[in-house]
Amino acid sequence: MGEERHAPPHVHLNPQAVAIRGVSYDYVTGGRVTRALADVTLDVPRGSTVAFVGPSGCGKSTLLKLIAGLLKSTDGVIAVDGRSVVGPLKNVGMAFQNPVLLPWRSVLDNLLLPLEILRENGDPRAPDRVLWRDKAIALLGTVGLAGAEHRQPRELSGGMRQRVSLCRALIHEPALLLLDEPFAALDAFTREEMWELHQKLRLEREFTGVLVTHDLREAMFLAQTIFVMSANPGRIAHVHQVRLGVPRTLEQLYSPEATALMRTMREQIRPSRQAVA
Amino acid sequence: MTARLRRLVLPLGVFAGLVLVWELAVPAFRIQQIVLPAPSGIVRTMVQMAGPIAFHARHTLVTTLIGFGAAVGLGLLLGFLIGASVTARDALYPLLVGFNSIPKAAVVPMLVMWFGIGAVPAVLTAFLLAFFPVAVNVALGLATLEAELRDVLRVLGASRWQIFRKVGVPRTMPLFFASLKVAVSSAFVGSVISETVASNAGIGYLMAVAASDFNTRLAFGGLFVLAAMGVALYGVFAAIERRVTGWAYAE
Repeated sequence: MGEERHAPPHVHLNPQAVAIRGVSYDYVTGGRVTRALADVTLDVPRGSTVAFVGPSGCGKSTLLKLIAGLLKSTDGVIAVDGRSVVGPLKNVGMAFQNPVLLPWRSVLDNLLLPLEILRENGDPRAPDRVLWRDKAIALLGTVGLAGAEHRQPRELSGGMRQRVSLCRALIHEPALLLLDEPFAALDAFTREEMWELHQKLRLEREFTGVLVTHDLREAMFLAQTIFVMSANPGRIAHVHQVRLGVPRTLEQLYSPEATALMRTMREQIRPSRQAVA
Repeated sequence: MTARLRRLVLPLGVFAGLVLVWELAVPAFRIQQIVLPAPSGIVRTMVQMAGPIAFHARHTLVTTLIGFGAAVGLGLLLGFLIGASVTARDALYPLLVGFNSIPKAAVVPMLVMWFGIGAVPAVLTAFLLAFFPVAVNVALGLATLEAELRDVLRVLGASRWQIFRKVGVPRTMPLFFASLKVAVSSAFVGSVISETVASNAGIGYLMAVAASDFNTRLAFGGLFVLAAMGVALYGVFAAIERRVTGWAYAE
């Protein structure tokens, strides 16, 4: 473990899952231009998970939306799978703190929504409803929701809803999973269960993950690389590699190395918090 | 007693009690029949006049439902437009609010000038009163779509039209059906106002004629019929709402 400087750009040789080069983002409110992100350069290696941590307003959610193509950067280039992002990506899974399930659809029909859309758009990955139905039920089984497919979202607990939301983000087997504080609203124990679940799914499915979180332990457990951001404007202030091996256990979060890294990151986030106040 | 039965029996009991007090108060205080007839007298008149009352009630019902139907159509259209497009909302919403603050009774004379005395002004008044709640509710349902949900679907390559169809419309349905019961009551008010002012048929007309003849019993009879029709119309649409969008009400 330790701090590293940004890797040199070599996008074309070995395309990273996500490559961000000199990206800035300005937004305008009431005629005033505010710089939310300044000169962000980083890579996300294929199959790994990276986490962005930092004080509120450091632009980490904005960065996630830029990667997804939901926002357009003011400067710089973002490439996903070697292709620069110009509009919303079409093969991404997203999950948020709010699981936003559709209350009029059963759990199963919520999971099939992404496939309905892909199918209508002629995507070859969504050929057959029956086939996908079985896949969806199997996926529910892996997250511990076997037999819940015909239940209504309102009958589920917060943790169960979040599992369904995660399943919906993964059902179409996206290469890239974007998570914006997906577990922040859960209680501590459910959250840890979700970390382990996420790890299991990642090892099975080998997607690339980008996680935005306030929770340093969550970042340590889920990510191979952690970017510590500072605010006003949002920048990458520090980069840490987390070397806890695969698969990780919750126990490892209490190891001396993990504790030391956690303390370092807290110290790094604190001064930029004071700068905001 | 089950909660369901309780909700039915209690208000009916209070209603029966009030009618009884009324029935007893009229002779007790020697109130003249021309001022306030007793309920029993009103019911007797209603039975005697059942034929004409039924004719006028049907006329009012048809007028109301035509105006209501047109209002639902325009309300949905306007609601979808305002809910889906920020430009449409900025352009149209203030006008709608402004229009809605005009007392519609004041519009009836204008409608009579253009279309003459009869059913047309009544249908139009019903329509004018009813479309606003539909439009506002539908627009609200679309405009409050969660940003996260939109993002989840956009990164699947969903078009605006797909998001509208798959999420916007079903999500708006509870608000739409809730607005129907308000709208049908408004349409009913509209058609009766217009009938009272300028018509030759309908319960509103019947009551206006009865009042000018000092036939207080018949006027009250008309009022009873209006109350029953209003409750029935509301009840029908409330029942439809519960059936169609039960998911929005459970717990």
